[in-house]
Amino acid sequence: MRVGLFVTCLVDLLRPGIGFGALRLLEAAGCDVVVPGGQTCCGQPAFNAGDTASARALATRVIDQFEGLDYLVAPSGSCAGMIKVHFPELFGEDERMRVRALALADRTFELTDFLVKFGGELQPPGDFRGTVTYHDSCSGLRELGIKRQPRQLLGRMAGVDLVEMAGCEECCGFGGMFSVKYPDVSAAITDRKCGQVSVTGADAVVLGDLGCMLAIEGRLRRLGDERTRVLHVAEVLAGEDC
Amino acid sequence: MRSQAMYFKVRAGDKLADRLLQQNLAKARSKFVDARAAAVAAYDGDFEALRSAGQGIRDRVLENLDLWLETFEERARARGAEVLYARDGEEICRLVTGIAQRHGVTKAVKSKSMLSEEAGLNAALTAVGVQPVETDLGEYIQQIDDNEPPSHILAPAFHKSREQVADLFARAHGKPRKTDIPEMTREAREVLREHFLSAGMGISGGNFLIAETGSVALVTNEGNGRMVTTLPDVHVVITGIEKIVPRLEDLATLMRLLPRSGTGQDISNYVSVLTGVKGEGDRDGPSHLYVILVDNGRASLVGSEFQDMLRCIRCGACMNHCPVYQTVGGHAYGWVYPGPMGAVLTPLFTGLGNALDLPHAATLCNQCGVVCPVRIPLPELLRRLRQRQVEAGLRPRGERIGMRAWAWLARRPRLYRLATRLVVRYLNWLAEGADRIRVMGVAPEWTAERDFPAPQGRTFHELYAQRRRTGEE
Repeated sequence: MRVGLFVTCLVDLLRPGIGFGALRLLEAAGCDVVVPGGQTCCGQPAFNAGDTASARALATRVIDQFEGLDYLVAPSGSCAGMIKVHFPELFGEDERMRVRALALADRTFELTDFLVKFGGELQPPGDFRGTVTYHDSCSGLRELGIKRQPRQLLGRMAGVDLVEMAGCEECCGFGGMFSVKYPDVSAAITDRKCGQVSVTGADAVVLGDLGCMLAIEGRLRRLGDERTRVLHVAEVLAGEDC
Repeated sequence: MRSQAMYFKVRAGDKLADRLLQQNLAKARSKFVDARAAAVAAYDGDFEALRSAGQGIRDRVLENLDLWLETFEERARARGAEVLYARDGEEICRLVTGIAQRHGVTKAVKSKSMLSEEAGLNAALTAVGVQPVETDLGEYIQQIDDNEPPSHILAPAFHKSREQVADLFARAHGKPRKTDIPEMTREAREVLREHFLSAGMGISGGNFLIAETGSVALVTNEGNGRMVTTLPDVHVVITGIEKIVPRLEDLATLMRLLPRSGTGQDISNYVSVLTGVKGEGDRDGPSHLYVILVDNGRASLVGSEFQDMLRCIRCGACMNHCPVYQTVGGHAYGWVYPGPMGAVLTPLFTGLGNALDLPHAATLCNQCGVVCPVRIPLPELLRRLRQRQVEAGLRPRGERIGMRAWAWLARRPRLYRLATRLVVRYLNWLAEGADRIRVMGVAPEWTAERDFPAPQGRTFHELYAQRRRTGEE
């Protein structure tokens, strides 16, 4: 099956290793992975800012780029949620585009969700050793039902010991532009998350979204925590040498 | 109530800096959240199906709101109630003060009514020589604290500690300071009893209006609602036009949802269904019952893209579960309704341009949406309000231009690749070899509170193209 990897704009910019990790995992699962060259961003920032025209223009581009492939997989619950849930909404009045958006939505998956559904007994090649705690990001959890999938995959790794934190389903305080518009409120919310992470004593907090990663890692470091690593689930599953 | 919603950002900052408030919020934060979770877990049916049933009832009403209102009006009148309509807060005040004057009332006891907060009714009553006395314990605490507005729709004094209430009671009651909660409530009860017995009028809200019987349903926990609605000779109900349910049976369904979602109770301590005036031979109940049905912006939402919001049954679950509300409390929102429901209602009721911050004061985490007992898609409504702001040209120029410029660039992959390469190099230069950026000139708001993790070095697409060329991948 031909899988189109939607790298996401933040992975492209900040942690390309996550993209290569996703690539390695998908190939290990037997997929023929394609990285469409014209991809940029799914348009979520514009959508959430209320700029529907820009969001539609970017959504159209994603549809153009990916609709010829069997699947679209993204290492992000929030981008996958945008494509799967919100793209069809965006084209409410444009029937032709809505049908195309719905067709792509059906074939769009968040990375861990895809690996559990189509990856068979994939043994994650990563060599991480230590305790981890998992932060459920809001879009992945509440839009796509990503909850057991990353845990199931991490559970296949001998060196990984998962310790659940209290409030793992609570928001990290990122919220896209929210964190820039209300940095103080955002940071205060993240502080609760950081506290919950610290209590577990885990070596790493693992998550599936770059936004949460920026919020949590940025705040942990500012608060002086140099020990707790903040890792994307693809980095743990695939190994950090990607 | 005059809205301060324009100042959310500043008010939120003040609330974050208020150490006492932060301590109080930290203590109270998980109370209702845990209680709801336990109540939903203990429910011996399918709670999700119950939510859908609740949504269905509310939607059916809203489809034919005018007809249900007519039915209610007719049945309530048949039982001796007078049904009045108020267009806005001013009209609520005019009607209620008129009723008070007609009956020669000088004191009115009140059970909780958020509508009276919308109207600023207490000030209007005071101005015409009627003393309003709040009898819900939380509202009473707020009233003796110089009429501070409630910070939560169910627990008005949610933001106060027991110690603060002890100080207030000692000052207002002129009695020795107590910190034992049963003793404190007993003291309040003694004070309030005198008021119940001497008031000429009772004012209450109405959780639901039952069309088939013309009844008003009240959901309370303290019993004050019963005193307010049965002791004085005149009872005035103030409630929104959207609070109708068709049948008594629908009330049963919604009552399975409301207390569980709000306070985590299987059922509230009191559920009163009040129908008409005192009948012949009845020993209790008012001789005069007025039901004031309020629009104040609600009718304009019927048939609009915001109609879903009218399903709201005012349980408070959205604010209880909101990370922003949990962090800054209810007063930061600046008007009657805080939390996600307030962030939707305030701009709709007081004007889009008068509450610019509120639709943005949310992370869109959708915790509110998944706990809402009638499935109101709150994040979606907040997003629609953001869209309306953009369309009305109400967003700051820099934000609009920035967003459009970025979207323009993101539609041109070659240019975008070049730009991202430059950005990554710039960010790495800022990081000065470290794994993080401490001060970022282009987004100082970000690095005010957190570090910014430095990029790994090259963009994904740059590296991918390279690897493809060298045949490594």
